[in-house]
Amino acid sequence: MSDNQTPATQADSAIDNATEHTTHFGFKQVDKGQKASLVANVFDSVAAKYDVMNDLMSMGVHRLWKRFTIDCSGVRAGNKVLDIAGGTGDLTAKFSRLVGPTGRVTLADINLSMLKVGRDKLRDRGLVSNIDYVQADAEALPFPDNHFDVVTMAFGLRNVTEKQNALNSIFRVLKPGGRLLVLEFSKPTSEQLSKLYDMYSFHILPKMGQLVANDAESYQYLAESIRMHPDQETLKDMFEQAGFEQCDYQNLTGGIVALHRGYKF
Amino acid sequence: MPTSALVTATAESIINKLLSLDEDSETRLKALAGARLTAFISPLPYGITLSFSDRVDVLSEQGSFEDAVAALGPKDCCIKTSLQTLPELKETSQLTRLIQQKALFLEGELNVAQQVSALFQQLDIDIEELLAQKTNDVIAHQTVKTVKTVHEKSMSALASMAKVFGNAVVEEKQLAAHKLAVMHFSDEVNALRDRADSADARLRRLEEKLK
Repeated sequence: MSDNQTPATQADSAIDNATEHTTHFGFKQVDKGQKASLVANVFDSVAAKYDVMNDLMSMGVHRLWKRFTIDCSGVRAGNKVLDIAGGTGDLTAKFSRLVGPTGRVTLADINLSMLKVGRDKLRDRGLVSNIDYVQADAEALPFPDNHFDVVTMAFGLRNVTEKQNALNSIFRVLKPGGRLLVLEFSKPTSEQLSKLYDMYSFHILPKMGQLVANDAESYQYLAESIRMHPDQETLKDMFEQAGFEQCDYQNLTGGIVALHRGYKF
Repeated sequence: MPTSALVTATAESIINKLLSLDEDSETRLKALAGARLTAFISPLPYGITLSFSDRVDVLSEQGSFEDAVAALGPKDCCIKTSLQTLPELKETSQLTRLIQQKALFLEGELNVAQQVSALFQQLDIDIEELLAQKTNDVIAHQTVKTVKTVHEKSMSALASMAKVFGNAVVEEKQLAAHKLAVMHFSDEVNALRDRADSADARLRRLEEKLK
């Protein structure tokens, strides 16, 4: 980040410079075809330390955000659940117990390294009977239409190249009556918190990444990608554009994170 | 930060820790596998769901009691009550009365609620054994014995204090004289007045004689 530009102005200029064939990768503009592999490099690099870094960066609060997402999912025994960008399987572990032996949870992630870490972690916990692991791109989900009761995506949507395509694809695989929950970083609701959060994300986070995961760049990308992600209202509009109904969102921790919810009827 | 998530996370850790300390709870937990108990307890602002598998998952219920009832499965139970009524639920014989009084709303499988109640009421944790694993047998035995003695003495002191206090509150205080005493006093005053009147009459007669 340059010294004389705030994250907000850098994010604005990245949006202004976007063309039809380019997209943002943090504050940089890259070809749309390139983004997936660049994101893959980031997650290949951080996969092994992903859980430790999540706990450190959020001071453990990410567990509460995820728990709240599960509370809002309304999952019942026998349900089919898709956990997209499920990474190291935090949501899947809980869903697996909640749907029971008659239900099924599919942990999908585009990144093989993350999927492997998640699979090993869940198997070590003895969660094997009702979980499938699928390497899948959220923009083109390899599942039949009207298949899942609940779809969740926690901290994954901002890494997708064409977010609207991903929402459309999720809408297709959801059963009528099913619901989508997207937990993602968002825009803090207060100016003071926003400034504090910027300072933390752009100055402390990369240093933490360097210290723990020996990778400052990936955590710089994390901070930048959060700023480039659509705000609460824009994402809600995107839900509606995909066909979801009764869309709403709940800000968590002052809007640092928001949980969006939409139903397919 | 979602406080409901913090509450359920804490409750879940405590419940599973307690259950893990009693080996027999595993059998009781197995009988509940796949079941759910949802409780809306006023004044808590949201419901709490206990979902049973090889452990207990605690979830907050963001919808209303009616929403939870609509989504009930074959092994689910949903109750709505208040914090004051909660201790009365221990007595299964009281359930009908509480339902009639509308102090308890119960939908779904009653068995689930009873099994959950048994799961926790029958918890038998050998604290001495657990402590012995951390220290040694003598220290564990002495510590548990001391705690038990202190507990018994405190309970007995509390019971006797409660008794004294209870008596003091209930006992009739003689703030006014008894009715019979008042009547006796009144009779004596009347007799005295009569004697004084007759003495006065006698004095007057004597005065008249002297004149």
